[in-house]
Amino acid sequence: MSEPARDRWLSIGMSVLLHGSLVALLAIGWWHFRSRPPAPSVPIDATVVDARTLKGVGTASTPAPKPKPAPPAQPPQQVPPPEPQMEGPPPPTPDEMAMREQAAKLEAQHEAEAQQELLARQQAAEAQRKAEAAAAEQAAQARKAEEAKAAAQAKKLAEAKKAAEATKLAEARKKAEAKLAAEKKAAEEKKLAEERQAAADRAARLADLQQSLQEEERAQAARAASGALASWQSQITSRIQNAWIKPPTAQPGILCVLNVSLVPGGSVTGVSIGQCNGDDAVRQSIQTAVYNASPLPPPPNGIPFPRQLIITFKPTT
Amino acid sequence: MAPLLRIFLAVLTAACLAPPAARAQLQIQITSGVTNPVPIAVVPFAEAPTDGTDVADVVQHDLVGSGRFTALARDRMPARPTSAADVKFADWKGAGSDYMVVGQVTPAANGQLAVDFNLLNTLTGQSIARQRFLGTAAALRNAAHRVSDVVYRAITGIRGAFATRIAYVAVAGAGAAQQFQLVIADADGYNQHLILQSRFPIMSPAWSPDGQWIAYVSFENHLSAVYVQRVLTGQRTRVSMRAGINGAPAWSPDGHKLVLTLSGDSGHPQIYILDLSTQHLTRITHSPAINTEAVWAPDGRSIYFTSDRAGEPQIYRIGIAPGSSPQRITFTDEYNAGPHVSPDGKLLAMVTRDDGGNYRIAVQNLASGEFKVLTHGRLDQSPSFAPNGATIMYAERPGRGQAGILATISVDGLTGLSLKPTQGEVRDPAWGPFTH
Repeated sequence: MSEPARDRWLSIGMSVLLHGSLVALLAIGWWHFRSRPPAPSVPIDATVVDARTLKGVGTASTPAPKPKPAPPAQPPQQVPPPEPQMEGPPPPTPDEMAMREQAAKLEAQHEAEAQQELLARQQAAEAQRKAEAAAAEQAAQARKAEEAKAAAQAKKLAEAKKAAEATKLAEARKKAEAKLAAEKKAAEEKKLAEERQAAADRAARLADLQQSLQEEERAQAARAASGALASWQSQITSRIQNAWIKPPTAQPGILCVLNVSLVPGGSVTGVSIGQCNGDDAVRQSIQTAVYNASPLPPPPNGIPFPRQLIITFKPTT
Repeated sequence: MAPLLRIFLAVLTAACLAPPAARAQLQIQITSGVTNPVPIAVVPFAEAPTDGTDVADVVQHDLVGSGRFTALARDRMPARPTSAADVKFADWKGAGSDYMVVGQVTPAANGQLAVDFNLLNTLTGQSIARQRFLGTAAALRNAAHRVSDVVYRAITGIRGAFATRIAYVAVAGAGAAQQFQLVIADADGYNQHLILQSRFPIMSPAWSPDGQWIAYVSFENHLSAVYVQRVLTGQRTRVSMRAGINGAPAWSPDGHKLVLTLSGDSGHPQIYILDLSTQHLTRITHSPAINTEAVWAPDGRSIYFTSDRAGEPQIYRIGIAPGSSPQRITFTDEYNAGPHVSPDGKLLAMVTRDDGGNYRIAVQNLASGEFKVLTHGRLDQSPSFAPNGATIMYAERPGRGQAGILATISVDGLTGLSLKPTQGEVRDPAWGPFTH
């Protein structure tokens, strides 16, 4: 089992390696293709060639460098030398001399032409290079402008977005505030309503109270004979009872009558004990109680105090 | 409005013009009062005596201790008069005292001192009582108590019991050094005399009706025994040392018999009457339950005692005549014990346990059954009536782990004073009879 697996892994590995190599080659080729030196670089290569080399080149009618897949300038030794030079120098003849002269003239002419052509080529290349550089510059500027434009646009977009967000936030805040205000208003209205209701209730109660008071007043008026007088009597009684520290000997069965003298303000000016079956302690205590209750509460509605008051002490407990 | 006007005119006529018979229409009838302490000012007496006894202070302490008076503090007195002639009553009206006591202590014949006092009503300006007591300087406190007695009677109508004595048990020290003391003192706790001291418990002192003897329980022979001892001489007799419990002696009103609690061999405490002259024993109770803490009714014909025959301790009454059957007296709380009858036989004082588990002093009106808890303590015990029946002395334990003290309260619940021991704790108070 492990053997076939290893084989399989081996073949997979190989395949991956192979495919990888292919992909790598493809990539290198592509990169090479992409990174090929631009055409304007060719004339620069040519400038290193000197005149001696050009002599041989001229006759060989070296093809003009082509802009594309042209191999780099070939080394001079690979250029086949001109045939005459290879045969060695024969003895000159007058014809030959003339021919030579003509040939020299031709050669010089060719050379001049070649040089002129070279110059022209150089100039053209320079011009092209300049044009290309200008074009590149222009392209760069265009790109830059494009980029600037894009940046400006992005900035504008961002600003727009920001502005939109701010607007949104402001709107949300405004909305929340509006909601709060609405709620507050509602609460206030509710409170107002409640207060109005409470006021109405109070008014109703007051009306009831007034009614019952009026009824009570009428009833009081109806109870004319005893009302105000009884109330005053009970006030005096309560005041004296609260002032009477009852001695242990003041038991049921004790009856003492006091004649109390009053002045107009209700102050007690004298107490005389009339009928009394209590001991000295009882007598002392009831006199003391009446003096401590002084001044007595005033009678109702400006009626003057009586000058004398009869008070009976008759403990029931 | 018209009817009202007519009434007012009628009142006016009645008040101003009508003859006395008609004025009687305006009748004021007072049927109740308040149970408050009476405000009084006891002004310092003139010529303070040499032994340092402040007569006015003793009088004030007595009166306040009864629960029925509140005293005006000396620094709030508008003046320090020492006789009625010196008193400007107008000055005292605002001080809030209904009454005032003024007086002097002056040298008298035979080296004695004269204590003169005058009780005045500050509202009427009247003199209510005035008196002179003569005595030696050593008897000055007693003279002051006599002044208190007169003042108390004049204002409350009840005989004062300030010149009486009390007996109590004091416990000093702890462990092996613990000492039990039987002490006699004035009713205000001063003038103490030790009449018996023992390393073993002393309990339940009881005064004879003539105030000459005290009966008590002593464990001095490691067993309980009942003794009677003459207060003046210290002469004493062991009257019961029977098997089992010998406890809770109380004198018959005629002073010839003691009622005792004896358990004998049965282990069930029962009530017996011991004739002191013949040593004859008469068994009174026959219930198998616990029967103890017997006291005589003032008429001498019946006995009140504590029994748990109904489950919880309650107070019963039984006639001393043969064949009498006991009658339950208390029903208010689940626990009522330690009865003490007032000298007039109308009130029964006891220890009652309330719902909160507090033991407090209560009184029950024997005629009406009215029940009233007087104290507010946690562990109040051993109530004893003053011979005037107006005040109760009892033992109070103020807090857990605190020493017991003696306290007084009026029978209508007016708080008196506490008598604090100088050391140790005090318990089992017994208020002696009038002796003068």
